[in-house]
Amino acid sequence: MEYNGGAVVAMVGKNCVAIACDKRLGVQAMTISTEFKKIFQATPKTYLGLPGLATDVQTLAEKFRFKINMYKLKEEREIEPRTLAHLVSSTLYERRFGPWFTEPVVAGLDKNNNPFICNTDTIGCINFAKDFVVSGTSTNQLYGMCESLWEPDLEPEDLFETISQALMNAVDRDCLAGWGAEVVVITPDKIITRTLKSRMD
Amino acid sequence: MDALVSKYAHSSASPLDSSEGFSQAGFDAAQQFALPMFDIPMVSNPIDFLRAHTDPSAENRIRIQHGTTTLAFKFQGGIVVAVDSRASGGSYIASQTVKKVIEINPYLLGTMAGGAADCQYWERELGRRCRLYELRNKERISVAAASKILSNMVYDYKGMGLSMGTMITGWDKTGPALYYVDSDGSRLKGERFSVGSGSTFAYGVLDTGYDFDMSVDDAIALGKRSIYHACHRDAYSGGSVNVFHVKESGWEFKGNFDFDKLHWDYQAQPKGQIV
Amino acid sequence: MTSRLPSQAKGGFNFDNHVRNAAMEGKGAALPKATKTGTTIVGLIYKDGVVLGADTRATAGPIVADKNCEKIHYLAPNMYCCGAGTAADTEMTTSLISSQLELHRLATGRQARIVTAMTLLKQMLFKYQGHIGAALILGGVDISGPQLYTIYPHGSTDKLPYVTMGSGSLNAMSVFESRWTPNMDRESAIELVKDAIEAGIFNDLGSGSNVDVVVLTKDKVDVLRNYARPNERGVKEASYVFRRGTTQVLKTSIRDMVDIKETVESIATSTAMEVDAV
Repeated sequence: MEYNGGAVVAMVGKNCVAIACDKRLGVQAMTISTEFKKIFQATPKTYLGLPGLATDVQTLAEKFRFKINMYKLKEEREIEPRTLAHLVSSTLYERRFGPWFTEPVVAGLDKNNNPFICNTDTIGCINFAKDFVVSGTSTNQLYGMCESLWEPDLEPEDLFETISQALMNAVDRDCLAGWGAEVVVITPDKIITRTLKSRMD
Repeated sequence: MDALVSKYAHSSASPLDSSEGFSQAGFDAAQQFALPMFDIPMVSNPIDFLRAHTDPSAENRIRIQHGTTTLAFKFQGGIVVAVDSRASGGSYIASQTVKKVIEINPYLLGTMAGGAADCQYWERELGRRCRLYELRNKERISVAAASKILSNMVYDYKGMGLSMGTMITGWDKTGPALYYVDSDGSRLKGERFSVGSGSTFAYGVLDTGYDFDMSVDDAIALGKRSIYHACHRDAYSGGSVNVFHVKESGWEFKGNFDFDKLHWDYQAQPKGQIV
Repeated sequence: MTSRLPSQAKGGFNFDNHVRNAAMEGKGAALPKATKTGTTIVGLIYKDGVVLGADTRATAGPIVADKNCEKIHYLAPNMYCCGAGTAADTEMTTSLISSQLELHRLATGRQARIVTAMTLLKQMLFKYQGHIGAALILGGVDISGPQLYTIYPHGSTDKLPYVTMGSGSLNAMSVFESRWTPNMDRESAIELVKDAIEAGIFNDLGSGSNVDVVVLTKDKVDVLRNYARPNERGVKEASYVFRRGTTQVLKTSIRDMVDIKETVESIATSTAMEVDAV
């Protein structure tokens, strides 16, 4: 976690969800890239956040892309976010005694457009939440921001402001995360992706 | 001679407490220049004791402030000193508004890298000594002498956990002077120094843009820019840039520049020619 | 390395990352910690069956990772199992055994017995020599009446009329020791379980939030999720919703969802191709 740094957060709003991540890739103290991808689209309305050790982030992103595509081919439908959460969980638990160093976050709308978010620990223990989930090196700071800023039934525009401010203010107290941020708001009829202007130190 | 020896041998009594040095007719250099004494933990090995409590694996770890970028360089117009302002404990950012340039007196500046408390305490103690020197000799201390006092003081505590990497700069009879002093006991005279976790990044910019004959404004801009780039690449540096200019009339504070504003200003500027 | 292609996957644990992770730890990299359930879980036998209880806090170090998690896991229609220890281990172990019990039930055409589940669990945990950190309370009703077991991570088991486990086990046991009696009625049994869990919630830092209860009798199972909620959060007095436009944005991309309708039209084939001949 601390080797490359990074943070991911997801929140539930009114008929929508949002997932956000910072864009830093570091090697301990040195920032290598400020355009590092940490959230991946799993289905049209489901995103997967993978903060943690960069090598594992990329390995797992490909692994999950493969598994999600295989699911789609076999079932002839998109995978539901809840099903994806269990797929993530069992993929991580397979490595119970030699884990992947990432704490994935799943955020999306299910087939009835109901919001779904969850995260897991490094060995696949799922944490279903109704409000928000946080992950990565800024976990402590993000918990503090989310516990105070989040409230139920936020409209997509308000959810965007809330999740953006929560993430940016959290990473401003973390040496290893920040350097830009990306926010995805998922609503039943559109996906809004925004790149934020943030501190670059 | 015997009296002098016994004074040193009996070093457990705090030399700072005694008022003898002033009240007695004769000035006692041994008393006046004796080092301040600290209580050492009552354990067989104080160094291991400290290490056990500052190790990342310790259960209740004491996090000492680390991570910094500081620089100072000589040029035709004197010396420019530039520093960042971030304090971090582990990966947590404790403050973005730390003053890392210590104003020892109107002619002397010290910079802060490593343990914040160590730098502040020892440079304050250095300030006291420099003032005593001034009163006694009716002239300002040279930067060479001041830096050597600091170096000698911390050398006495070598290996006992002090952590400081500092640059002592000022203007004396010989003109501008710049010394690097650290808690290992190193004391180096030089033209250009950068200290801290972001120093490698700062050196890169500094060496590229440096020219002894540059103007004061250009020198300040270079100092600012070097710290800016270090703050961008180094996780443990950031916040804002503080710049000082040391000249014949003493040092002058040249301003505090927030990193965020600097970044977007620099982004908007056309890129300079390097080759 | 024993890396396998996904098509050759055999199931079971994969140790490929172990050497790398040990090397990283050796270099001083801090390894992330798994979610634990510093927990209070209890079970007791009363006149007509078994009552299981659990708190709902999951922790990661000093952080409360989940304020309302489920620690009473389904095993079979007549059995439930409370889990304490490493959260992923209790979750995965119980769901694995649950699956085996389902197959066992289909193969035998009979309701599974509690001892069967207990044996499957202890054999699995013993096989892994305590490395799977699951401490369990297994309760259920079968042909021979209500049964209650505790199973420790190393595979040892106890069969007792009232049991507690987890970091709040001492708090809960003090309640049981002073008030448990044989042949209690349903009402007072549930109340005693609730009080035991609350002793853990209030006095053990690793436990907290709500009380989950499951009551198992010969022909009925009641899952009383959040039976008591003694830590209801106060209402927020102020709103911290930011004015829209507060966050500075560098780039926006909006993708609209489009319904793709597929319609098949049969095209009347013209009798002959016509070429404009002069």
